[in-house]
Amino acid sequence: MAALSSIHCRSYSYSPFLFSSSSSSINGQQFQRINFSSSGISKRFLPAKLFSQSRKNSYHGVVLMQDGAVAMPVNPVENEASFKKVKDGLLSSITSAEELKETAGFDVNKDESTVIITVVGASGDLAKKKIFPALFALYYEDCLPKHFTVFGYARSKMTDAELRNMVSKTLTCRIDKRENCGEKMDQFLKRCFYDSGQYDSEENFTQLDKKLKEHEGGRLSNRLFYLSIPPNIFIDAVRCASMSASSANGWTRVIVEKPFGRDSESSAALTKALKQYLEEDQIFRIDHYLGKELVENLSVLRFSNLIFEPLWSRQYIRNVQLIFSEDFGTEGRGGYFDHYGIIRDIMQNHLLQILALFAMETPVSLDAEDIRNEKVKVLRSMRPIRLEDVVIGQYKSHIKGGITYPAYTDDKTVPKDSLTPTFAAAALFIDNARWDGVPFLMKAGKALHSKRAEIRVQFRHVPGNLYNRNFGTDLDRATNELVIRVQPDEAIYLKINNKVPGLGMRLDCSNLNLHYAARYSKEIPDAYERLLLDAIEGERRLFIRSDELDAAWSLFTPVLKELEEKKIIPEYYPYGSRGPVGAHYLAARYNVKWGDLGAEQ
Amino acid sequence: MATRLTTPCSSSSTNFSPSSSFNNEAKLFTRFISMPRKYGLSTWVSHIHSKTHARKHFLLNSSNEHPLNAFSLQDAGLAGNPLAKERIEPPGKERPSIPMSEAEKEESTLSITVVGASGDLANKKIFPALFALFYEDCLPENFTVFGFARTKLTDEELRNMISKTLTCRIDKRENCDDKMDQFLKRCFYQAGQYNSEESFLELDKKLKEKEAGKLSNRLFYLSIPPNIFVDVVRCASHRASSANGWTRVIVEKPFGRDSESSGELTRCLKQYLTEDQIFRIDHYLGKELVENLSVLRFSNLVFEPLWSRNYIRNVQLIFSEDFGTEGRGGYFDNYGIIRDIMQNHLLQILALFAMETPVSLEAEDIRNEKVKVLRSMKPLKLEDVIVGQYKGHGKGGKSYPAYTDDPTVPKDSLTPTFAAAALFINNARWDGIPFLMKAGKALHVKRAEIRVQFRHVPGNLYKRNFGTDLDKATNELVLRVQPDEAIYLKINNKVPGLGMRLDRSDLNLLYRARYPKEIPDAYERLLLDAIEGERRLFIRSDELDAAWALFTPLLRELEEKKIFPELYPYGSRGPVGAHYLAAKHNVRWGDLSGEIYE
Repeated sequence: MAALSSIHCRSYSYSPFLFSSSSSSINGQQFQRINFSSSGISKRFLPAKLFSQSRKNSYHGVVLMQDGAVAMPVNPVENEASFKKVKDGLLSSITSAEELKETAGFDVNKDESTVIITVVGASGDLAKKKIFPALFALYYEDCLPKHFTVFGYARSKMTDAELRNMVSKTLTCRIDKRENCGEKMDQFLKRCFYDSGQYDSEENFTQLDKKLKEHEGGRLSNRLFYLSIPPNIFIDAVRCASMSASSANGWTRVIVEKPFGRDSESSAALTKALKQYLEEDQIFRIDHYLGKELVENLSVLRFSNLIFEPLWSRQYIRNVQLIFSEDFGTEGRGGYFDHYGIIRDIMQNHLLQILALFAMETPVSLDAEDIRNEKVKVLRSMRPIRLEDVVIGQYKSHIKGGITYPAYTDDKTVPKDSLTPTFAAAALFIDNARWDGVPFLMKAGKALHSKRAEIRVQFRHVPGNLYNRNFGTDLDRATNELVIRVQPDEAIYLKINNKVPGLGMRLDCSNLNLHYAARYSKEIPDAYERLLLDAIEGERRLFIRSDELDAAWSLFTPVLKELEEKKIIPEYYPYGSRGPVGAHYLAARYNVKWGDLGAEQ
Repeated sequence: MATRLTTPCSSSSTNFSPSSSFNNEAKLFTRFISMPRKYGLSTWVSHIHSKTHARKHFLLNSSNEHPLNAFSLQDAGLAGNPLAKERIEPPGKERPSIPMSEAEKEESTLSITVVGASGDLANKKIFPALFALFYEDCLPENFTVFGFARTKLTDEELRNMISKTLTCRIDKRENCDDKMDQFLKRCFYQAGQYNSEESFLELDKKLKEKEAGKLSNRLFYLSIPPNIFVDVVRCASHRASSANGWTRVIVEKPFGRDSESSGELTRCLKQYLTEDQIFRIDHYLGKELVENLSVLRFSNLVFEPLWSRNYIRNVQLIFSEDFGTEGRGGYFDNYGIIRDIMQNHLLQILALFAMETPVSLEAEDIRNEKVKVLRSMKPLKLEDVIVGQYKGHGKGGKSYPAYTDDPTVPKDSLTPTFAAAALFINNARWDGIPFLMKAGKALHVKRAEIRVQFRHVPGNLYKRNFGTDLDKATNELVLRVQPDEAIYLKINNKVPGLGMRLDRSDLNLLYRARYPKEIPDAYERLLLDAIEGERRLFIRSDELDAAWALFTPLLRELEEKKIFPELYPYGSRGPVGAHYLAAKHNVRWGDLSGEIYE
């Protein structure tokens, strides 16, 4: 099998360009456009990227792309004219073609570009558990540019050594990458620094800027801010960072974590505020589910296998199920959650994003804008969600094996009379030619019996099935099902009807399966690694664009509002159970049976 | 998952036949066919009785060329041949026992006579299969096994001989010895000449002794060389047919060596037997995965849209053995690999694979569809076939013999031990799709499999990740018939990691892992089907004719032109000519593609 022999840490969108020099003119158009949008990523960072990456073979693909991009400014007018949208993003920060040429001429200074990743909210949980370990993993894999620095920023007073000490506790090497692990950790920690300050103080950020400049030592500077802070201080931090700590000659990007508001209005307000200080292409809204290996693979599966092509529509698919469950509750941290609830926390973002990716039409290319355009189309084609198509639940306490599991409202940070759903199921519909009438069922819950995230595709039954009599009365139980298990134990399997070996003619359901652990011995990288690398490389495919976010909110906002206004009481379910039975009735209304609660599990 | 509860040994059709609506003659009679399983159920017998007259009348108008009609005749057990008529009277004497009481249910008997009992096949396959059926309680209560051959043997000697090859399945060890003893006690022997009616009369006497006046059903398994087929059938039919039950004859390949000889054989057989008494066995059709082929196709929606020229690029049917004739080339040399494997086993699988959806799972419906495929096939051209023959090869200090080193093979033999062919079906579903067959002896592996290669993705977004040869990145469905039964579907997948590397992974189903039970041998299934009168897996005369009509001109041309086979070393991957043949039709053999075979 001809697999692309790309370097492991290079981000996907670039790999096609490995062959672009040999590819035919058909691709010329696409090639040019990508070039252009990549220059749109941020013109300031562009030469820097060129320098930092052409140095390494691992960035070969990027180099090809960048070559094109550098050539572009020779006739910038024509390009800008034909790609107005991108241009808009460029104009405010665009540097002159001369400057680009100038910087492009700095070939001698190739090694002189730097990347500084500032983790704002460095003492937080996410930073410690995910961001620093992901950065270290990227470092271990040689995916970070040569001159990189990691800065922690938070209010607590800390020395560099204290930060390093704190960070070091959560760093681990992958099972298959143990070599020199200790050494690598030391090297990594030496690149970590700390600065303390208020999130809303421009002075503090000026101070940070000074420190960053010290590390940059006059080289081309690229800066990535990771905002791992509560939403109410997003804007302040963005304002300060943008005003006082933007890169002078490279790019500045900001990664923002959910929640992106709590309804259409607040989300729009947030976007508007962010855009006072940042361009759309500087904002990287992270949805870490999009960084999961199997979600990434979803498009590969669909678009590179002919056998799935005819199946992917209402003609063959009976329903699609998007299932997320956690086997623990809020466990004393319900304060944030109670304000949002499971629909905002999981459905409106993670599950809806997967749904859009699953259901979208074939994009023109794998380029970020093309994919996001298709996703927006799906979201905008969706039928408004009606209250009766949603079931909500909340877990109550449960005693099992002598252990008492708490109710949601037993959480000290949660009001006793909270109606916030910890479980929700919803039936969604996409009113387009491909999916008309096919129910997309979502289910998300906390404190359930298992930890799981999966996509289930149930196919229709065989028309005029010759073997009907072997299936009893319920034909729907004997249909094919494609399951993509996102976590844990990544796997893809297709349930097929098969003859039980033997002299009789008994049929049963077997799996054609691909279990990742068995097939791929390498540890699968964490979603954060992929997303951080993408942000550093300016790849936006897995980040959420403003219009996507707007569409997602406009789908869920009315129903959320109605739930709250009508004070709908959630159906209670015991901690550790399979969730409220209401989910079954919701499914039954659309002639669906939840695939995860079948007898075979 | 809902499955029907059935006894482990019900034959394939029995699940379905009771549900047939009785809206026409053919359907009505299929009901009888499914009944013998219940052995003498009173309604069945009385039904026969009451219908005897009508059926005889029907018989006169029927022609053996119309299988559906012939079909309706047989299971009355009253034989559609004139000889049977004589016997209609004597059984009449026994008939007063009808209607049968509950106790009499057990009064029907089954005797299985293995003609050629001292032969290899009988010892290796037939007796062990019969024992396995006995172990699984699939044989009727009153059954007897008779060995018949020229060698003088006592019952004891036969039992002794058989016992050496009987084994219990790994998961069925319980009371194995007990069961063996019980089984052996039911085995008897009769020596005689294959062309002697007297010998068969003697056999008949012995059979009658065992039947003790009960309703008698008789199955003859002819495990003998083809030149004495007709003699045996004549003698058995004249002298040893059942008087009041059914008489069926299982015949093994070769069914002739070309259209004429096959037609002649069929004609001779039909002098003594009706079409529906003849069970032409093709043991490949009894293999688990071949059986499963139809289930896979017709009970899974995901395969339905794919099964045509729109999505399938080519189909490959591959058979290989890792040994040569090993001193037994005498028979083989007269036939060659095309007749031995392709014209029957591979072509049968092809027909099953390519047929349109049958009206039902009834034997006649399925065989009707298979015949349609065979008759739609484009005549085989000489240039679409390549033949090979293995030559001696020294490897690791060991020397492997050439085909012509076999003392039973003429030194100048041109008989192919390997062949590859490209076939086409000129119908709407398959027009232009190459069906490639490959069969050979003395190759590097032992394997039988079906490979379905799909087209490449039009406008593939991931094109550039696949290098220049898009065809190397297509989906492929593989049904591995043997060894290690498995089904797998090759899909393109992202290699986990930060980059975007694609590779091909398998969505797979390895039978050994999913079904820990041992899979029954093909002969068990086929014997049981013959006992139960299920004809689905047996080859009908018109199927056989169509198969020969396809291959005969080619075989003749090969022989007339004395086409020299391409020599290939023993234990190799076969002649490279197979690759060029494939290349001509834009195909790449899936089994030699450099991927590691599991």
